[in-house]
Amino acid sequence: MAESEEEVDVLVQRVVKDITNAFKRNPNIDEIGLIQCPEARYNRSPIVLVENKLGVESWCVKFLLPYVHNKLLLYRQRKQWQDREVLVDITCTLLLLNPDFTTAWNVRKELLQHGVLNPEKDLYLGKLALTKYPKSPETWIHRRWVLQRLHRECCPSPSDQKEQRGQAEAWANGNGPGHGERLQRALHEELRVCADAASRYPSNYNAWSHRIWVLQHMSQGSVKVLHDELSSTRLWVSMHVSDHSGFHYRQFLLKALLGELGQAHNGSQTESLHPPLDPRPAAQSNGEAGACEAGLTDDPHADTIPQLFREEMELCTDLIESYPGHETLWCHRRHVFYLWDRWQKLSQGTGSLSPAVTDSNALLSEVRDPCDELQASRAMDIDCVQDGSKHGGYTQDTKRLKRGPVSPWPGLLSEHAFISQVLGTRSTPEQGRFARAYRKWLDSVIGQ
Amino acid sequence: MVSDQQNLLFTYYRSLNCYKGTQIKDVVIKPDAPNSLILDKHADYIAAYGSKKDDYEYTLSEYLRMSGIYWGLTVMDLMGQLDRMNQEEIIDFIKSCQHDCGGISASTGHDPHLLYTLSAVQILTLYDRVKAIDVDKVVDYVRGLQQEDGSFAGDKWGEIDTRFSFCAVATLALLGRLDAVDVGKAVEFVLSCMNFDGGFGCRPGSESHAGQIYCCTGFLSITGQLHQVNADLLGWWLCERQLPSGGLNGRPEKLPDVCYSWWVLAALKIIGRIHWIDKAKLRAFILACQDEETGGFADRPGDMVDPFHTLFGVAGLSLLGDEQIKPVNPVFCMPEDVLQRIGLHPDLLT
Ligand SMILES: [Zn+2]
Repeated sequence: MAESEEEVDVLVQRVVKDITNAFKRNPNIDEIGLIQCPEARYNRSPIVLVENKLGVESWCVKFLLPYVHNKLLLYRQRKQWQDREVLVDITCTLLLLNPDFTTAWNVRKELLQHGVLNPEKDLYLGKLALTKYPKSPETWIHRRWVLQRLHRECCPSPSDQKEQRGQAEAWANGNGPGHGERLQRALHEELRVCADAASRYPSNYNAWSHRIWVLQHMSQGSVKVLHDELSSTRLWVSMHVSDHSGFHYRQFLLKALLGELGQAHNGSQTESLHPPLDPRPAAQSNGEAGACEAGLTDDPHADTIPQLFREEMELCTDLIESYPGHETLWCHRRHVFYLWDRWQKLSQGTGSLSPAVTDSNALLSEVRDPCDELQASRAMDIDCVQDGSKHGGYTQDTKRLKRGPVSPWPGLLSEHAFISQVLGTRSTPEQGRFARAYRKWLDSVIGQ
Repeated sequence: MVSDQQNLLFTYYRSLNCYKGTQIKDVVIKPDAPNSLILDKHADYIAAYGSKKDDYEYTLSEYLRMSGIYWGLTVMDLMGQLDRMNQEEIIDFIKSCQHDCGGISASTGHDPHLLYTLSAVQILTLYDRVKAIDVDKVVDYVRGLQQEDGSFAGDKWGEIDTRFSFCAVATLALLGRLDAVDVGKAVEFVLSCMNFDGGFGCRPGSESHAGQIYCCTGFLSITGQLHQVNADLLGWWLCERQLPSGGLNGRPEKLPDVCYSWWVLAALKIIGRIHWIDKAKLRAFILACQDEETGGFADRPGDMVDPFHTLFGVAGLSLLGDEQIKPVNPVFCMPEDVLQRIGLHPDLLT
């Protein structure tokens, strides 16, 4: 084993090169890991490539990390010059070992600015780091910077609305040439990276809040993307009933759909999902194709929003009954019911904003001006929620029940019935505790 | 959409074994777990920590060194042992970390960031040596990071997070320069991150998280806007973090943790609802996280200790009223006597 300083230098430089070569040899590496191996084996590289997995033998890390660490800091302090290509290799090795080394990501940002690295290649390194460190805050932070840069590269003049609108359309249709396609690829790849990291660590706050950021900044208010996300995470949350972050993501999607569908339905051209990158698909803004996708063109489809809520509440009921004693599921129920209750009250024009919720980011269901509000309540009158809008949840529920097989829209009555049913079933003590807490919550937050 | 289906199937197979039954996520405190406070051992542990500078672990954590020093010094001060640390060496180190832009980095050669700027200012305040750095430049640095919507970027690369809003106003308040930024706009942004459960996330639309809630309630305390919090609703959510073991978690169905115990407890103190949790049980949980051999606190009983959890363990016990420890301020996580000296009295709800 190498001992003297020079020997270590030679060894480490070889290892860094081995890593670079491994990536050249196999551009499809999809996971990194540490191979527990306390002793070096003679004449063999500590870098192991098996199928698409890149492994580093643990014995070399204690030489490798301090070496690349110091090399980068010497460069940063302008005490030692490095070629750009060497910097690419050093930061790669360093970040695979220690992905929260902020300054190393910053060096890569500068390399991107100088065109030495391209965004996709850099995102790929982060993706690999996340296979071993799925929470790494600095990796997620760096990705957001790169994605914003990628976005700017594809839409060079943010002030040029016309051009952006065209691109957004191409993007939304998935067949636009060049930039639109590149951005769409990046969006879907990013959602995959989030899903993978979420599966590697439970309730991965950084992964899920990044996923929200991605929708806010890259999906351009596309109702289709929101629907796709809602359906693709349905099975996932059903298999991860303790994952509060995953369920919160669904709450976010519902809220975002409320905003977007409300707009499409009213045919208004108000704010998009995220104002700074406004170019929403033209089709959606004028209430044509975008609304069609969501089944919203005519009044027969106007119950899309209530239908979304009914499905979510049914999913929640199902999971609570199948997996008793999970706090996450009861929290989800609170939030979904809260959104539903507030949406109902607002669409009746009688709701007032709770002081608890003063979101200003246009993601909520607030109808944005008095005119919209009128339209919304008219739409409701035509549709089946009308009973509820005049007499409150109880009446609405009773009428629905009388009507037969269609299950009722959720309401206070059905929620209390659900609680009683849960409490009446022999279950775990936690289940009882959560059910009673939910009842108390309904009484003090909703029923006030 | 074939690839999406494949993706779904893949996720499905991967997750089949993720479901681990209905047992609740908590720890069991063993009967022989530590149940009394061993302050001497903790002071020895912290005093020795900084001396292992060639350690591999030490290199690994260099990217947050400035915060590490803040954790160590604050816990030493809370235990009345600050004089055991090498003040001059630390002040020189901080000076070497201030950059031309005014910002301060985690260590020499690293890039400046609001997180470490706050840690450095906290350390200098503990030592009453703020003038050792260029204060005007720090103020310029912080001011320059405020965005049009009132939010703060963590550094020149632009990441936005409510944590950075807290770092910005805490730094300025310690320097007596809160007027340097647009406080009204800053408040507006933080409030836009409030959720239906009364909690706060890192950005608008993000999930409530005890660490972010600590930052946001601390922020609203410093800016005198605590009346904007729905204290009963938020207090409810925070109290639901307490598990049967007595420990607190940071979000539903996460394991209890000493650092989250501090964040939740401090937030409850700030909004005047600390009496809503079972203090005796929490105290027992925190004490059980001590390592009687090495000194120091771990995240949970039996895990490896570190300076981070050692500070939050001791600070938590202080908030619970332990009289062997100096009273800690819940907003700044610094000894009350230090804040008294500089005349800083952040609001608390009653
Ligand atoms: Zn912790």
